[in-house]
Amino acid sequence: MKQSFVFSGSGGQGIMSAGITLAHTAIDMGKHATYLPEYGPEQRGGSAKCTVVINDAPIVSPLPTRCDNLIVMNEQAYRKFGEDVKPGGVLLINSSRIPAPETRDDVTVIAAPVDDIALELGSPRIANTVLLGILIGATEIVAKETLALSLEDKFKEKKPEILEMNIKALDRGIAIGAQHKLKV
Amino acid sequence: MGEKRFMKGNEAIAEAAVRAGCRFFAGYPITPQNEIPEYLSRRLPEVGGAYVQGESEVASVNMVYGAAAMGTRSMTSSSGPGISLKAEGISYLAAAMLPAVIVNISRGGPGLGSIQPAQSDYLQATKALGHGGFHAMVFAPNSAQEAADIMYAAWDYAERDRNPVLVLMDGCLGNIMEAVDLPPMREIKPEDAPEWSLSRRNGRDYQGNITPIYTEPILEGINAMAGEMYKAWEEDDVKVEEFMVEDAEYIIVAYGIASRVSKEAVLNLREKGFKVGLIRPITLYPFPKKSIRNLDYDRVKGIIDIEMTIPAQMREDIELQVMGRCPVYEYGRSGGCLLDDDGVYDAIYEIITGGDR
Repeated sequence: MKQSFVFSGSGGQGIMSAGITLAHTAIDMGKHATYLPEYGPEQRGGSAKCTVVINDAPIVSPLPTRCDNLIVMNEQAYRKFGEDVKPGGVLLINSSRIPAPETRDDVTVIAAPVDDIALELGSPRIANTVLLGILIGATEIVAKETLALSLEDKFKEKKPEILEMNIKALDRGIAIGAQHKLKV
Repeated sequence: MGEKRFMKGNEAIAEAAVRAGCRFFAGYPITPQNEIPEYLSRRLPEVGGAYVQGESEVASVNMVYGAAAMGTRSMTSSSGPGISLKAEGISYLAAAMLPAVIVNISRGGPGLGSIQPAQSDYLQATKALGHGGFHAMVFAPNSAQEAADIMYAAWDYAERDRNPVLVLMDGCLGNIMEAVDLPPMREIKPEDAPEWSLSRRNGRDYQGNITPIYTEPILEGINAMAGEMYKAWEEDDVKVEEFMVEDAEYIIVAYGIASRVSKEAVLNLREKGFKVGLIRPITLYPFPKKSIRNLDYDRVKGIIDIEMTIPAQMREDIELQVMGRCPVYEYGRSGGCLLDDDGVYDAIYEIITGGDR
């Protein structure tokens, strides 16, 4: 089944990296995936957005108008893209930065303080891994084991503590996401 | 095939070029194609090739001229504004009958335009890549995979014809990441260099062998030879994808990224019972004239040109084949605003249910 994901926030929040990891993991599982980044000319602090499409069949268009799963990491992205999730979809909100999202009854809203969780686990830089955990906990779009292997590959050149921290972040996210489990 | 990698369209182009035997790149940075030079700056030295970031686009394309004259598989890449600057050099490549591959990862235009993706260079690519009335074969892949496959074959065409080849792809496909089955590495030895190239010649033997300057009667002959070559391309080298065209009452013509969004719309409209099909030129030059000319116009009620540029640029090539036998419509986005599934679906729906556009 075809599923689309939009990750949005600001440069430096790991938005693009989360999108790439998700798409890569889907491909490792034998699915098809496209990842399309969109960003301004800035390296940090500018807006960052990427679209991931995952399907069992080859992806025809990588440019969905509205997505099945929208991940917003800050207030600006929430205001800009908040409406872009399809009815029946998932809206995943970083409540550390978006304190008072409007309620919507046509989508599943998951609000989690991913920045705070990341800090608690050791680094603000693993907020995106917490996000990925929540996503797969809720949607089961990819297997935890395959995603963990992707992370292992990604951090193989870094200190082992970094991978360890990311795996913890992934597990914490999955536990949160599992409380909102959906049928995809 | 060789190995599967998850990579950007731009990276697929660069890696496939190396595997095709490309051993020289010169270019100058411009978004949205920077992953090509970035990748090659690391990769070419690994295989004994040379990477040069030139001081300008003009310098870069002329370095490619020099390397191509030696018989080295050579390329440059840029985006619209940089291709404009390279136009003189590309024309000289054609004049000197030198094979090289030019990649344009296009963005919004005209002028500096926008760094965001757009299909704004169709006319430049197919009608006037430089002065003097020459043509290059123009390939327009619509995926990272097809970009790799086309790059892998590009020098075979260029060397066969002793003429530059252009690969035109928009910034969206340049930056999209997809799984790519990479072709195997080709080993091109120095002795494989074309027979006419300077590396195969000794001493004074090469003097005057490669030149962009001819006396009048010779130049006319060169022009006539080129004319024959372009005709042969139309017979032998057209590449086109026809999708659900057999019974279609409305035919969409779209290339590159627009063809993927259009195909999605075709599938969705078919589900609703609308007889819609897609013709996707893979070679923009030679243009797949017959695919459009030979349609059954008792059945076909309209042709819809969908491009990520405004106004549509391919429209005149389509109209020349339709010859007034049905209306031609167009829909596009431009300036760095991307086509999207709903926008394209709605536009086609409006046209086929009686709207005008």
